[in-house]
Amino acid sequence: MNRRKFLGLGLGLGVAAVMTPATLSATNFRDTKPGAWSGQNATAIDSSMKELYGTSATTEGKVKLKAPAIAENGAVVPVTISSKLAGKTVALFQDANPESLVAVFTVPANGVIDYSLRIKMAKTGKVVAVVEVDGKLYSASANVKVTAGGCGG
Amino acid sequence: MGNKSRIKAKEKKGVTTAKVMAKHPMMSYDEAKKKGKKANFITSMVATVDGETVYEASTSQFLSKNPFVKFKFKGSNKGKKLVFTWTDLSGATRTDKKKIK
Repeated sequence: MNRRKFLGLGLGLGVAAVMTPATLSATNFRDTKPGAWSGQNATAIDSSMKELYGTSATTEGKVKLKAPAIAENGAVVPVTISSKLAGKTVALFQDANPESLVAVFTVPANGVIDYSLRIKMAKTGKVVAVVEVDGKLYSASANVKVTAGGCGG
Repeated sequence: MGNKSRIKAKEKKGVTTAKVMAKHPMMSYDEAKKKGKKANFITSMVATVDGETVYEASTSQFLSKNPFVKFKFKGSNKGKKLVFTWTDLSGATRTDKKKIK
């Protein structure tokens, strides 16, 4: 399909669906912690974590992070975070892209921490998963070697 | 070719596993600059069952195109509808629902 036409379609649909999601009691971390997503503190994992959680001191363990040791396609790197902790939030960082925070999950009351998602990594780097339990941070990290860049490179 | 999120949810022994593939170009700022277009990517995803939130994520431009996510939650939800909503940088939202098997 003609790419221009496809994008036009997408924009059209977007405009038509203007609706404030009133049911979302979601803590939108992008609104509440903008400093963690972009700006000078967002580049390094450490400072981005500080922006989000107020500290970058974590205890390694109790969190399982599954990521491929070698990712042939940096545009699609499957990552799984799991933990038996009664965490309130889970955050995923990586240091291969200009901004290190990838996603933050809010764990609801009946949630199970077992999240998978596919991310982009521009180059070889470290992926860090953090589970926050009542203010205390637990983390796990994995090194992912990327053989083909994830940003169309 | 629509923008529908593909949802698959199955419950086993009180835990529901849901897999969702949202259709979205997820154009990061870098990609947008290269193509001369505006960056647009999903910024938040929420899933609810019976109005109760079972999954909530704030996301960045670094999720892959047509982001695929998998998540689990407890409860006896067989037969109920899983409602999945995403919101993107431009403010657009998209909601899809699927019955939990």
